[in-house]
Amino acid sequence: MSITHCQFPTRRQFLGYAGLSFVSVGALAPRMFAQVAAESAAADRNDHTLVAIELTGGNDGLNTLIPFENALYYANRRTLGIPKENVHRLSDQVGLHPAMEPLAELFKQGKLAVVQGVGYPEPDRSHFRSMEIWHTASTDKRPPTTGWLGRVVDSLTSAKNEDAIPGLAFTGALPQAFQAAKAVIPVVGELETFAGAENTDQPGIAIRRKLSTASSQAGGPVAFLRNQSAVVYRTVDRLKEAQAKYKSTIEYPGSSLGSQLKRAAQILAGDLGVRVLYASQDGYDTHSGQEGQHAAILGDLSQSIEAFDRDMAGLGLADKVTLLVFSEFGRRVDENASAGTDHGAASCVLVAGAKVKGGVYGEYPSLEKLGEGDLIYTTDFRSVYATLLDQWLGCPSGKILGSEFAGIGLL
Amino acid sequence: MAAERLKPLIPDKTHPFDARQAAHLLRRAGFGASPTEIAAAVDKGLEETVEDLFDAAEDEQREFQRTFDAINGRLVNAGDPSVAQSWWLYRMLTTRVPLREKLTLFWHGHFATSVNKVGDTQLMLKQIDTLREHAWGNFRDLVLAMARDPAMLVWLDGESSSKEHPNENFARELMELFTCGIGNYSEQDVLEAARAFTGWHRQGEQFVFNPEAHDFGAKRLFGRRGKFDGGDVIDLLMAQQATPQFIAAKLLRFFVEPNPSEAVVAAAAELFDQTQLNLKLFLKDLFGSEYFFSEECYRARIASPVEYVVGLSRTLGVRQPASEIANQISTMGQALLMPPNVKGWDGEQHWINSTSLAARLTYARSVPELNSGDNKFNPHCPVEQFVPPDLTSPDAIVEVLADLLFQGDLAAETRRELVAFLITNEEGPRPDAFRDDEGFRTLKTRQLLGVMLSLPEYQAY
Repeated sequence: MSITHCQFPTRRQFLGYAGLSFVSVGALAPRMFAQVAAESAAADRNDHTLVAIELTGGNDGLNTLIPFENALYYANRRTLGIPKENVHRLSDQVGLHPAMEPLAELFKQGKLAVVQGVGYPEPDRSHFRSMEIWHTASTDKRPPTTGWLGRVVDSLTSAKNEDAIPGLAFTGALPQAFQAAKAVIPVVGELETFAGAENTDQPGIAIRRKLSTASSQAGGPVAFLRNQSAVVYRTVDRLKEAQAKYKSTIEYPGSSLGSQLKRAAQILAGDLGVRVLYASQDGYDTHSGQEGQHAAILGDLSQSIEAFDRDMAGLGLADKVTLLVFSEFGRRVDENASAGTDHGAASCVLVAGAKVKGGVYGEYPSLEKLGEGDLIYTTDFRSVYATLLDQWLGCPSGKILGSEFAGIGLL
Repeated sequence: MAAERLKPLIPDKTHPFDARQAAHLLRRAGFGASPTEIAAAVDKGLEETVEDLFDAAEDEQREFQRTFDAINGRLVNAGDPSVAQSWWLYRMLTTRVPLREKLTLFWHGHFATSVNKVGDTQLMLKQIDTLREHAWGNFRDLVLAMARDPAMLVWLDGESSSKEHPNENFARELMELFTCGIGNYSEQDVLEAARAFTGWHRQGEQFVFNPEAHDFGAKRLFGRRGKFDGGDVIDLLMAQQATPQFIAAKLLRFFVEPNPSEAVVAAAAELFDQTQLNLKLFLKDLFGSEYFFSEECYRARIASPVEYVVGLSRTLGVRQPASEIANQISTMGQALLMPPNVKGWDGEQHWINSTSLAARLTYARSVPELNSGDNKFNPHCPVEQFVPPDLTSPDAIVEVLADLLFQGDLAAETRRELVAFLITNEEGPRPDAFRDDEGFRTLKTRQLLGVMLSLPEYQAY
């Protein structure tokens, strides 16, 4: 199967969206929110951007970052094991999948950090639950309704910059990571169709704008739709500006991810004050016939990132952008009978960009001592988040994540 | 107390089954209705209207099948996923038993299978047929049919699962998403269930049991031990208390309100359990209940793309090819036969983001522009059927359309704005020209309808 996002609507979340009284947003969010608001002045001074790329479905970390000297790897991956000689070596122990040559090149240039064994305690093998943990940055049974990046966007939104678009997603639906307590974060498909949707010269546009965005006594779905409509109209205007400014001849892969990263480049070139962008690539739930499928999507991932990296350099934006590549879990060490792998636990995370200190970080999980057949994590995923929050976005991680996690020296 | 809420509504003077309530029922248990259908429901009364929702309509089922067989391969190629989408939409747009299609859509979102992995639209349409056949039957039979469904066997890898290395994909989603829900099973249950389903394979478009791949050994699930096979696992799941709870809650969210209270869910689960998971009995009681017609459930949902588009099309009697409608619905985020993942569409506010909402606004504007003129084969939105050319009062025109789309529920302030828009051209407000110039009236009336279809109030379902 395949996955894009998981969101669990609740009454609290709905009320938060509808812009109703702050008290109804629940106990946790307001406290966290008050704290981050105080810090937002500091964060405003920084114009760094984070582009998150979700590998949807659970990426097989073992076949992404291959421990080619480990005999247990080949014993477990009888048909799916990648021969040592085909691996793009990053060290004398690990290397990237053969389809990831462009990323191996970025590594050589010192622009790619690979974090090994990333996960969280008591791993859950449900896509949707594990995604919820990664997106909310919480392992609590009742996690906050907001996502970690939604909290970042909330902290960057203030009354004086209402028209800014601090966060923006290219995914089919708003990812849970972007659920915010007060910000309405746009999801943008193809820029052309989007910007053509509600042109000001269309008949009835003025009244449509007025009646779709009017604030009134209405609650429930009507209030929610009015808030969303207001964002549509505001975003349409801003994106038209951005599109006009983007002049680039870089060719991106014709894939969904290639198109998403191209849109990211267009928006960054438009200098709209966007600080967090969210893209996703589907197809990692490789329960069967993994070999060809995994090679194809890892190749697409690598080529798309490579094109984006060149585009950023050409636009003079390379120093302002960092990419985070993650997945909800890795896969079972022992392959299954369908030439695939079932849901697992720890996997690797990639961080790329001109300002990244390239290298291999953390410890590769043992293939001997497993947790119910799965790799046991060695680095908490929130350590990666904390690094990006503190060292890159300038948003104090303790406030966004709810507690302190040690950073990793990759930025 | 909670069961009290599901007691039958006996319409009376204070709680009449009027056009507003009939439209509510026909939206939720269908895709919205024309004024004629609404009037007919009011005439019949609540009880008979609910009874008729479940009309087997075997003649119509046969007729659809005959049409499909006649055109497939000659007029269209249903091997093309977009044609398969159009075919299903055509049934939704034209059936006289919309509830069956509505439930089929619900189950498609529940046992969410995508042609993107299955690859074969024949298997997909066969799965949709199976969902339709069991739409309001017994839930256990439906789950068993899905466990043996060829598209499902491809989608969740059952077809290659064998006793040496059982594939967990189906077993896990069966528990997490299809029956009892997360938190109500252990990892051990998943592993053991995966063993029980080994050897459930397919040959082409048929289910086959492959004894050589099946694990006949003893398994331990839910505290029971036995040489269980897949059917036994399904029976064990049906006996879990969490299953009627999980399914009843999902049915409430889809048919009644996005956030049902725990008390209502508990009452619905109890009712569903009492019917022994008989969907028809359960839904009949639900659709006839005081709860279903309570104010907090009225227009409390957000229309899904299919509900929005098929609904306005059926209400207005729009003539537009299903292929075009299928494209529009995909742009709005609900590509049929291609749910985003095995969890299906999240629904409600997740339908709405800036891109999908922009697509709705664009579509709303485009529909009233469909005007075939003299060529009766062209797409057409029959505005003239509701607003006759000799209706010249702008207030009356707004009222007619407010009745058609909202059964009158539209704020006075909004109506005033709409009237002002109606009589205004590039030169400003021109009430006299509006009264005297039929061309001006027609143009503006169609634009007005586009504005009204795009209103947040219309997308509240």
